[in-house]
Amino acid sequence: MYKFTLAFRYLIRRRISYFAIAAVALCVFVVFVVITVLTGLSRDFKQKVHSSVGDCVVYTKSLVGFGYYDEFLDILRKEPYVEAATPVVNSYGLVSVNETGGLDVYGQSVREIAGVEPVSLSKVMGFGKWIEYHKNDVADVFRPAYDVNLPGCVPGINIIFEKDIQGNYNTTGRPVKAAFEISCVPLTAKGALARVGTGELNSKTFYYSDHFEAGYSLDRRLIFLPIDDVQLLCGMATGHKRITHIHIKFKNGVTLNKGTQKVKNLWDGFVASKAGAPYENLLGQVQVQSWKDFSKVIVALVETQQTMMIVCFSLIGMITVFIVLVVFYMIVSHKSKDIGILKSVGASGFSILSVFLNFAFLIGLAGSAIGVLVGWRFLVHINKIEDWMFEKFQFQLWDRQISSIGDIPNTVDLKVLAIIILCAIGACLLGALLPSWRAGRIKCVDTLQVAQL
Amino acid sequence: MKNDYLLEAQDVHKSYRMGQTRVRVLRGLNLKLAGGEFAAIVGASGSGKSTLLHILGALDRPDKGRVCFKGSDLSRQSGRRLNRFRNRTVGFVFQFYHLLDELNVLENVLLPKMAGKSLAGWLVCRRTAKNRASELLEQFGLSERVRHKPYQLSGGERQRVAIARALMNEPEILLADEPTGNLDSETGNGILKVLERLNGTGQTIVMVTHDDRIAARAKRIIRLADGVIRQDK
Repeated sequence: MYKFTLAFRYLIRRRISYFAIAAVALCVFVVFVVITVLTGLSRDFKQKVHSSVGDCVVYTKSLVGFGYYDEFLDILRKEPYVEAATPVVNSYGLVSVNETGGLDVYGQSVREIAGVEPVSLSKVMGFGKWIEYHKNDVADVFRPAYDVNLPGCVPGINIIFEKDIQGNYNTTGRPVKAAFEISCVPLTAKGALARVGTGELNSKTFYYSDHFEAGYSLDRRLIFLPIDDVQLLCGMATGHKRITHIHIKFKNGVTLNKGTQKVKNLWDGFVASKAGAPYENLLGQVQVQSWKDFSKVIVALVETQQTMMIVCFSLIGMITVFIVLVVFYMIVSHKSKDIGILKSVGASGFSILSVFLNFAFLIGLAGSAIGVLVGWRFLVHINKIEDWMFEKFQFQLWDRQISSIGDIPNTVDLKVLAIIILCAIGACLLGALLPSWRAGRIKCVDTLQVAQL
Repeated sequence: MKNDYLLEAQDVHKSYRMGQTRVRVLRGLNLKLAGGEFAAIVGASGSGKSTLLHILGALDRPDKGRVCFKGSDLSRQSGRRLNRFRNRTVGFVFQFYHLLDELNVLENVLLPKMAGKSLAGWLVCRRTAKNRASELLEQFGLSERVRHKPYQLSGGERQRVAIARALMNEPEILLADEPTGNLDSETGNGILKVLERLNGTGQTIVMVTHDDRIAARAKRIIRLADGVIRQDK
């Protein structure tokens, strides 16, 4: 019992223990805030990517694409684990702005284009939530409000609008008449230029009908178009119609790996059934991947940054260990008389060690509690604090005009929090171990002799 | 083999290293103490009085020779059994009281009981222990000081708390190292009266002092010189 009582009394009566608590609290605060923000950034980014890919992708890297997709989509949509599937043609186009409609967009540039079926796309991805004016009538997203007979397009918000310094887009509040002439190089099913000698480009003018905001780099590089138009522009509408991607969403409860494996098996069977069919070689270039594998190049970058930062900040834990070691070394030196007294009444070396380890545990617990409370409060107000700093000192954590990340993520992951607290307490116990062990080995006669006092 | 002595030191040697030299403090000391004795160990400074007391109370081990409690050789005991011996069989009173500043008077007195019990064991016996501690404090006129911290007490009060702590587990032997050495004569006299009263109830007491007048209050005086007993009367 005295082990707990003494440990608690040392905690509240020894001023030096307040320094140890402050050091632990500071470390916990820093690690808690940094890890929460970094984990939040990474989680948000992954969610955005997931939302723009679906759960699984059947795709080819070739711009020629692959055929028979309608047949495979029919098969897929009958599978019990598939919620929805949608065909997409991904390609590149030269975009010329013929009519700006007052939008801040000029000149010519090469953009990614995606030919899509908006209704099925919305069932697989977050497309229906990304768009501005057709949230409730996605089917009409390619019909410009000012003239429904014109072919519409849905460019990324950052293609047509600029961000202000606080990260808000200068949107017009209604679709305006802007025209984009999009030119593509059509390819035959064999991969050759489809229009050699006759003017190699297919061009068509599309009118701004809506814009989308996915929340990351897609917003400044991609334009959504009707799938039929893109197939025509890219030469994929002739003979066996072709696409480049099929995006799939699994039903709830279907795990990513199992679902992807089932699609893989299904695709392999489908390819086998098409042996000898025209252009069956294009099917051989098709891959089936989960969204994580499909996006791993961009996700891995974020994860690597996150890991590096977490490792760097976790090194702060080493400082905690060292501070606790120094504090305990001093405390044990000051408390050698107490150790002698305890041994003279029959306390064992292990009991003495326990007193100081209990003390270290309490320091870790108190420091963690303070660090977490302050950190939590800081995280709750982190965006307000950043706004205030921007107002007063023009300071921002990152440039909102460039970055697609808006608010600083501050959602606390309780699992991460528990790990931080356990690590902080562990660091305290580790730092206290050597001095406590030394305390346990002190001979009481050495401390209780008059000459030692 | 039947042994009538409570504590027995046989050919005890002890030396300490002081810088480059080795100081031989005890040089083959022999001593027998029977139950119920009140013995005073006297001698000049550095004669080995405190060292002998520490060895008798198993706070230290002799380099050579042995100390037996009721015929059982303490030097052959494991560390765990020696802890138990210090906890239950002996009670120490020191010149500088040696109370824990972080604990109040009652907690200081309860310390030996707490040290000898596990958490569960303590929870079972705590009421009895608190009653015992309260009785001791009342006996020593400290019932009003139960919640006070050691620094709030006078020297005499602190020493009485230390004696109460030493008696908490009803030890068979009370070892007192200069118990009045840090007190004025009147307060010291009060402490000696306490010791005499305890001895009157059958408590075995071994007291170390350098003062012959204080030693004279004991029933037996053992004089140390050159690491051995020169006089025992």
